[in-house]
Amino acid sequence: MTGGIGGEAAIAGIGATEFSKDSGRTELRLATECVSAALADAGLSASDVDGLVTFTMDGNAEIALARELGIPELTFFSRIHYGGGAAAATVQQAAMAVATGMADVVVAYRAFNERSGSRFGQVSSSVAQQANTSGVDNGYHYPAGLATPAATVAMVAQRYLHDYGASSEDFGRIAVTARARAATNPHAWFHGKPITLADHQASRWVAEPLHLLDCCQESDGGVALVVTSAERARDLRRPPAVIAGAAQGSGPDQYVMTSYYRDDLAGLPEMGVVGRQLWRQSGRTTSDVDVAVLYDHFTPYVLMQLEELGFCGRGEAKDFVADGRLDLDGQLPLNPHGGQLGEAYIHGMNGIAEAVRQLRGTAANQVAGAETALVTAGTGVPTSGLVLTVP
Amino acid sequence: MTAATDGRSTATDAGRRIEEAAREIAGAGASAPDPARDPVNQAMINNWVEAIGDANPVYTDPAAAAASVHGELVAPPAMTQVWTMRGLHGARPDDDPLRRMTELLDEAGYTSVVATNSTQTYHRYLRPGEHVAASAVLEGVVGPKRTALGDGWFVTTRTTWYVGDEAVAEMTFRILKFRPPEPQDPGNSDDGTRTADAAPVLRPVVTRDNAFFWEGLRDGELRIQRWGGTLRHPPGPMPPDGDLEAEPDYVVAAGTGTVYSFLVHHHPPVPGKRLPFVLALVELDEGVRVLGELHDVDPDEVHIGLAVAASFDRIDDDLTLPAWTVRS
Amino acid sequence: MTITAGTELPPLTVEATPTFVVASALATRDFQDVHHDRDAAVARGSQDIFLNILTDTGLVQRFVTDWAGPDALVRSVDLRLGVPCYAGDELTFTGRVAEVDGDEVTVSVSGTDSLGEHVSATVRIEVTA
Repeated sequence: MTGGIGGEAAIAGIGATEFSKDSGRTELRLATECVSAALADAGLSASDVDGLVTFTMDGNAEIALARELGIPELTFFSRIHYGGGAAAATVQQAAMAVATGMADVVVAYRAFNERSGSRFGQVSSSVAQQANTSGVDNGYHYPAGLATPAATVAMVAQRYLHDYGASSEDFGRIAVTARARAATNPHAWFHGKPITLADHQASRWVAEPLHLLDCCQESDGGVALVVTSAERARDLRRPPAVIAGAAQGSGPDQYVMTSYYRDDLAGLPEMGVVGRQLWRQSGRTTSDVDVAVLYDHFTPYVLMQLEELGFCGRGEAKDFVADGRLDLDGQLPLNPHGGQLGEAYIHGMNGIAEAVRQLRGTAANQVAGAETALVTAGTGVPTSGLVLTVP
Repeated sequence: MTAATDGRSTATDAGRRIEEAAREIAGAGASAPDPARDPVNQAMINNWVEAIGDANPVYTDPAAAAASVHGELVAPPAMTQVWTMRGLHGARPDDDPLRRMTELLDEAGYTSVVATNSTQTYHRYLRPGEHVAASAVLEGVVGPKRTALGDGWFVTTRTTWYVGDEAVAEMTFRILKFRPPEPQDPGNSDDGTRTADAAPVLRPVVTRDNAFFWEGLRDGELRIQRWGGTLRHPPGPMPPDGDLEAEPDYVVAAGTGTVYSFLVHHHPPVPGKRLPFVLALVELDEGVRVLGELHDVDPDEVHIGLAVAASFDRIDDDLTLPAWTVRS
Repeated sequence: MTITAGTELPPLTVEATPTFVVASALATRDFQDVHHDRDAAVARGSQDIFLNILTDTGLVQRFVTDWAGPDALVRSVDLRLGVPCYAGDELTFTGRVAEVDGDEVTVSVSGTDSLGEHVSATVRIEVTA
């Protein structure tokens, strides 16, 4: 094995706020709460922290968080671009900082009032007209009316349906699975509220071919993850989740949500880039994965991820997801927390926390004997992923 | 997705004036307690339970109320705000923060109002004969925000109801004061180009690399960047072979192509668009893809492979967008 | 009654007839024209007269106490409005017990009409048995 993080770092603590539609407090307050919870979970204190990582989009400056928490000094701070594609990469950055000795304890965090504050599902003129190359790219799409995440995904989903003979019901199976898991997860917004495929089909159009129930929720909340060396993590309160692989990926002719000019529209090659690195770094293959936490802001991209990551061939995901293969006791248990469709939309960070719980054996919907977890970040954008294992 | 910042980045002087005034009003603190017109009374309770359809006997049946945890008749907690409503001809007192903020936003053009949130906390139930008074304070004003209804400001007030000196209930109330969007009336001009509502349309970022494309649209040309023999769209500053000496030019597309993929947008509202609308990614006969709205078509009739022709949506003197119509 | 988290409340459907919209607006002493004058409501950009927020508060309270009984004490009602409820529509409330903490019960309520979710609410009650 060459390159990669090679199990040198681990996630030693996880923390979260409640997930809601209106937190009633500032994003900075949410950030301090989830980071404090993660440190307490790890058995560490603010004075142990010397690194912070978050998303470019996060509204909480590292220094503001450090002030509130009483972190005296930071030797490492970093931000990752491209929306939810940053999620797993925050852990990758933290792991690299720890592995190279730039920092000892790095906390990755994401906290926002995405539902009660600025909603990503609405049209934003400031996104369309930002003065940088992404603003230039958006000029070919936003003014024409392609102005919401769901619409950008619908364009790709339509071509996917056409190329592979899939149907809206194939997308719906992902939503039904997520809501079934959320129904038995007390922390999920949709706890106790499963749906049927008929509910999915009956839900209103958002951007045809996407129904409302193909789209994840919008949420307020925060999640934080404490990363330190695998060696130090072994001596802390909780069993560590060892970072066996951590990768970022961008594909050919890449855009943010609108990679419409590639030869093949119905794929997510950037996730293929991530997958190849993860398998190589971790020395594991798809058959080793006990639990998969795949980013599910929109159902079609879950099917496409299964293909890009090598769980099935191109266009075969519709058959792969049938017959209960994604159920808790299936071949590839998917998003046991309910995903962002069912638990909450915390930009993928709640999925990483779930993977850690699965490896600890403490999840609400526990996969028996889970030893290897795969986690992915936002799709349709340059993205990232992790392979986590028990020590 | 890239950053969805809030509307503050576009705050104007008017916005700053509203924020300053809001700070002043909030700083003035709570209004003087304003007594309800009537004491809590059975007649109004009866009207209310009839209208709402609430059959809870603790509000209307003396015997049942006496036997309940209350020991006597009580008023529905949800009526708390009713006691201090202004009534048909009433006006809010001059020092009422919501009145002052409303006047200010009306003047700034945010003339419409809709209630968005109400959080009421009841410390205890009220009994007939008690006389409540309300005092309000401005908690916050946030905006301008783009909402489905139009651009607007969220105004949050906090009201406390007293009986004598005792606080009996509290409410945080949020309204949206918004500027209703102008009615849309897209029509067709004589030269066949389409005019659309100019103001709210999102505008492209024009650079030295892509100015020819947007200029071409204004002239009714769909221009595709060409580097030697290679066409590229969207355009950029470099040719595919990385030759720093190369200079691009462009070809004017014939304007014919087929739908490569498409979607029908239903939700949420998009500035300048009538719902639902069809967006098509079209593969031009020249071999590149261009995105635009597909007009005058039943969404159910659109399919991949549908033959389309370029058209031009003229927004205003500066901006024309590429668009499509079905080729017959 | 044993109350546990996850318990579903029996649904309640309210016909939002013009009479209901007007009667409830006046019973809550809300004389805004959009709640009783159709022409005025249309001129302000609405498709018809619509329910006022004080009525929503009342309906949400009624929905919860219909289920919890007359001895339940309503401690707070937190509601957020979504799409309007116009005259002629039908409003259906559903609810679920979100949390039980001793005597304190938190109920999540959703009221939907033909346009979508009109109101979502969290109601805190105290149940001393």
